[in-house]
Amino acid sequence: MAKKVLIALLAMFICLPGFAGSKRKADKDTNRFRYEIECAGNGVQGTYLLKVWSFSKKPHIAIEQCKKNAVHGVIFKGTTGTNGCIPQRALAATPGIEMEYKEYFDYFFNDNGEYLKYVSLTEGTQEILKVGKEYKVGVIVSVQKDALRKALEQAGVIKALGAGF
Amino acid sequence: MDMKKILLFCICTLSATLAFSQAKKPTLMVLPSDFWCNQNGYVQEYDNQGITTVMPDYQTALMSDVDLKLVIAKINDLMAERGFPLKDLEQNIKMINQQNAEMNLITSNAGNTLAESPIDRLLRVAKADIIIEVTWDIKEQGPKRTLTYIMEAKDAYTGKSIGGANGASSPSFSADISVLLGEAVLANIDNFNNRLQAYFDDLFTNGREVALEVRVFENNEAGIDLETEYDGYELVEIIDDWMAANTVEHRFSKLGSSENYVAYEQVRIPLYKTNGMAMDTEAFARELRSFLRKEPYHIPVKVLNRGLGKTVLVLGEK
Repeated sequence: MAKKVLIALLAMFICLPGFAGSKRKADKDTNRFRYEIECAGNGVQGTYLLKVWSFSKKPHIAIEQCKKNAVHGVIFKGTTGTNGCIPQRALAATPGIEMEYKEYFDYFFNDNGEYLKYVSLTEGTQEILKVGKEYKVGVIVSVQKDALRKALEQAGVIKALGAGF
Repeated sequence: MDMKKILLFCICTLSATLAFSQAKKPTLMVLPSDFWCNQNGYVQEYDNQGITTVMPDYQTALMSDVDLKLVIAKINDLMAERGFPLKDLEQNIKMINQQNAEMNLITSNAGNTLAESPIDRLLRVAKADIIIEVTWDIKEQGPKRTLTYIMEAKDAYTGKSIGGANGASSPSFSADISVLLGEAVLANIDNFNNRLQAYFDDLFTNGREVALEVRVFENNEAGIDLETEYDGYELVEIIDDWMAANTVEHRFSKLGSSENYVAYEQVRIPLYKTNGMAMDTEAFARELRSFLRKEPYHIPVKVLNRGLGKTVLVLGEK
């Protein structure tokens, strides 16, 4: 019994740094805009329907990171006009805004952070491709852009349309 | 006075200053474009001194076309969600009709009706500071239907385009026009609002862009025109100098002038007066009027307001 416990603990110690390392790498990729985001069709009112591609050595991390990347993309990157869609500008398009509100966004994009409130994954839409030593994973997600915009307006990151009047 | 009263006075003063120091919010209204009205037969023709003039008939359009109502409702809904509700065209027309009916019935005890000049009647039409014009057309290719749409916002007084969105939907076998229209509005509204935001940002940075006209009453009592000289300077030059001194960064363009008329456009007026209250074109024009009424000019001036964005000053009489 003691032997089994020891083996389990050893396995945990070996796996955990690997898992944390992949997660950290995925977060770095997000900050470097290393993901692909494209429109996947017309979402219902108040949402964007997007296809996001993320990269990781572990597919399940890439799938989770797709949610973070989708929200990150809607805030800072915008979407291109593919699949008959209209290109959409980023919600916070002002250069340097990410650094200006670094503390807010670090907290917002924390694992299990607030960003999760604004994104939902469409099950059964995953596409996994092996690219070199890592996986490129694409999923379709729905981002609640109106609610997200309101949250950013309330935090003072972006201005409301009628601000100043 | 005890401390409580002083504190209460300070709070009241501060609240009043904050309330007044907000810039005036422009009004927005969605209208079908003249092209769309003409294409769909919602126009009225009338003889304007021998020339047949065609005017859009918004009332008939609103009573007959459900797609138009849908587009207006959809844009209104989305704009309200962004904290910028629009003026409703249909309600506005109803209100004007109601107002006209009431005005015809109001009489004093002596039997006098309300005083109204032709210009008052002309001004009592549906209007807003920013007009959002919508146009759409359905093209059919066999069983497939494609919706082409244009949405354009215009500054109603300077006539400048603020921004727009246009495009065509994907060809559809089954989708109803209303569905295609709803999708087009949904897909375009964010980009459209981004342009509107850029317009508002420019407004806060460089001042409100307005137009101003100065005219002269014929054979006026003051006996002046824009070429009348004061200390060797023509009145039009004096007005030019006043404009340069009172506009943001001295920005204004003179369209043209004569002894009876001078027109300025792209006049950038500050958003606030020196006392912190919101400034609009009429307030700006009234400051010019005060200047012209003073020594050494003593010119009587009539101010005709045309909304937030345009004012006409008529010199010589009230």
